[in-house]
Amino acid sequence: MTLAGLAVTFLGFVIAFISLGVTSSTGGRMGMVLVGIVVSLVGIMGVITPAYQKKWIWKK
Amino acid sequence: MTKKIVLIVAVVSCLARAGEVRAQTPAPAEPAASAAQAAPSAVALTDADLKAAVKPTDRANGDPDGALTGTANDIAISDAKAGLTLTDVLNQIGANRIGVNFGWTLLCGFLIMFMQAGFAVVEAGLCRAKNANHTMMMNFMVYGVGMLAYFLIGFPLQMGGAGAIANLGGTPVLNSEFAVHLFGKDIGLFGNTGYLLMHHGTYDVAVMVIFLFQMVFMDTTTTIVTGTCCERWKYSAFMVSTMFLGAFTYPIFANWAWGGGWLAMLGANFGLGHGYADFAGSGVVHSVGGITALACAFILGPRIGKFTRDGKPNAIPGHDIMWVLCGCFILAFGWFGFNPGSTLALSGNGGLRAASVAVNTMLAGMTGSFGGILYMWIRYGKPDASMSGNAFLAGLVAITSPSGFVNPVAAAVIGLVAGVLVCVSCEFVERILKVDDPVGAISVHGTNGIWGVIAVGLFSDGRSNYGGSWNGVAGNVTGLFYGDAGQLVAQLMGVATLLGFVFVMSFVLNLFVDWFVGQRVSAQSELDGLDVPEMGAVAYPDFVLRTEPTPVG
Repeated sequence: MTLAGLAVTFLGFVIAFISLGVTSSTGGRMGMVLVGIVVSLVGIMGVITPAYQKKWIWKK
Repeated sequence: MTKKIVLIVAVVSCLARAGEVRAQTPAPAEPAASAAQAAPSAVALTDADLKAAVKPTDRANGDPDGALTGTANDIAISDAKAGLTLTDVLNQIGANRIGVNFGWTLLCGFLIMFMQAGFAVVEAGLCRAKNANHTMMMNFMVYGVGMLAYFLIGFPLQMGGAGAIANLGGTPVLNSEFAVHLFGKDIGLFGNTGYLLMHHGTYDVAVMVIFLFQMVFMDTTTTIVTGTCCERWKYSAFMVSTMFLGAFTYPIFANWAWGGGWLAMLGANFGLGHGYADFAGSGVVHSVGGITALACAFILGPRIGKFTRDGKPNAIPGHDIMWVLCGCFILAFGWFGFNPGSTLALSGNGGLRAASVAVNTMLAGMTGSFGGILYMWIRYGKPDASMSGNAFLAGLVAITSPSGFVNPVAAAVIGLVAGVLVCVSCEFVERILKVDDPVGAISVHGTNGIWGVIAVGLFSDGRSNYGGSWNGVAGNVTGLFYGDAGQLVAQLMGVATLLGFVFVMSFVLNLFVDWFVGQRVSAQSELDGLDVPEMGAVAYPDFVLRTEPTPVG
């Protein structure tokens, strides 16, 4: 799950980055960058956080 | 008598108006021939030019008011036979300008270095007494370990392709940037010269100044992580992790933002405002530190006793709130090196805007502390001391990036938002993410660093001019509220990079540390306190320490 979370988080960066080549409009790039940020946040908070919470010492 | 008074008033009025007209009339442009004569040449100055100069004998009785010190006699003469020439005078003017900028940048670097002491006492104060020695030792050695990594690897990666820095007299030897060709443009990824400050002519005074200034910025980043990870971080793991941060994570992102990398070139290459603009490092320094701290906190897990088995957080108060607030003032003092010093100049290319940057820094710190105090007072009925300190720092973190581009009112608003945001973020990190951050560094530096980066894209008023361009784009940095949406996109691209790239890179590097060194101390060491098991001595040998209660379960 941790690796999946890292992959999702990195995917957010990739989405934002490729906006530079996909479109030249400011609005289009802003939309893609915002989507990228949301995807990265989902990766951190939605995937990595629950994966690590299971391992923490107070859960044992 | 009345007629005389009227006459006098009329004459004075006419003279005043004439003076006003003269003052508003622009000086006539110098003819081309005159400008050509001003070019450096070995024109000897005549005795008439120097007749008013002070003679050494004039100071036989000292110079108590300083009027006789610092005159034409103090200009260095290159050829004693020719005497003082126009070339000597012009060279002296150039040397003075760069000397002022060198002095300013070095002095500000020294101030930033002292911020290490501020971080040390804030973090040590917020941890328990049984871990004080360990926490102080992390903050002490982060300076040396981080600097070693930066000297060996980090600086060339960050600044090797930065190009000439005009305010420091040019650094043309920093001219090697590794780039890939994508989307029809060169995408700069890392610098590749300046190893050991000797490689390819980088044994150069201007390079030394920029190294010192950038090194203390990097050290600030590394010391953010020690706060989040204190009270459970194995000392050996801390050293290796800090080495990675100083050698790779920080320099790579700093290259992209400050070293001529692809984020800085978003404006020149893709028409996004002036590219990613981060004046003094809300993103480069603070967010990188805060996000790395988050990655490390995931891997380390919370301290024993921080959460109950059902996930409810327990408060673990620090042992010395006086050190915490004293440290906040030390940090605020150092911030006057951090932000105003980032002009890299007082003379030329907008260097005088350092005054505006300093005031913005003060204002944001003030409104940040107000925002935090009011939030805590309204929500919990008391103005919490540690959160007041954190809100103060949050305001300073948030204004770090916009300080060079916004007006004082915007600075106050940015700080106020930061003061509230840090309180909300601390609650979110602890209660929702259930991440244990003993000092609140993830919220202070990570969350508010990102807020500062976004604030540049919103509040930059287009009135700052640092030599006519920023990141190679003519004109002034202008945010969305003043008409440039492209600048906001560039800033958001920086945020996406921080979250999607820097976080992943930090996480992976620290996973390696965990696998090969082990990040966390044993449960017994943690319960005993890390001072003896990790450091071999307690911080307060004459104190009787409280016995650790059994973890709530």
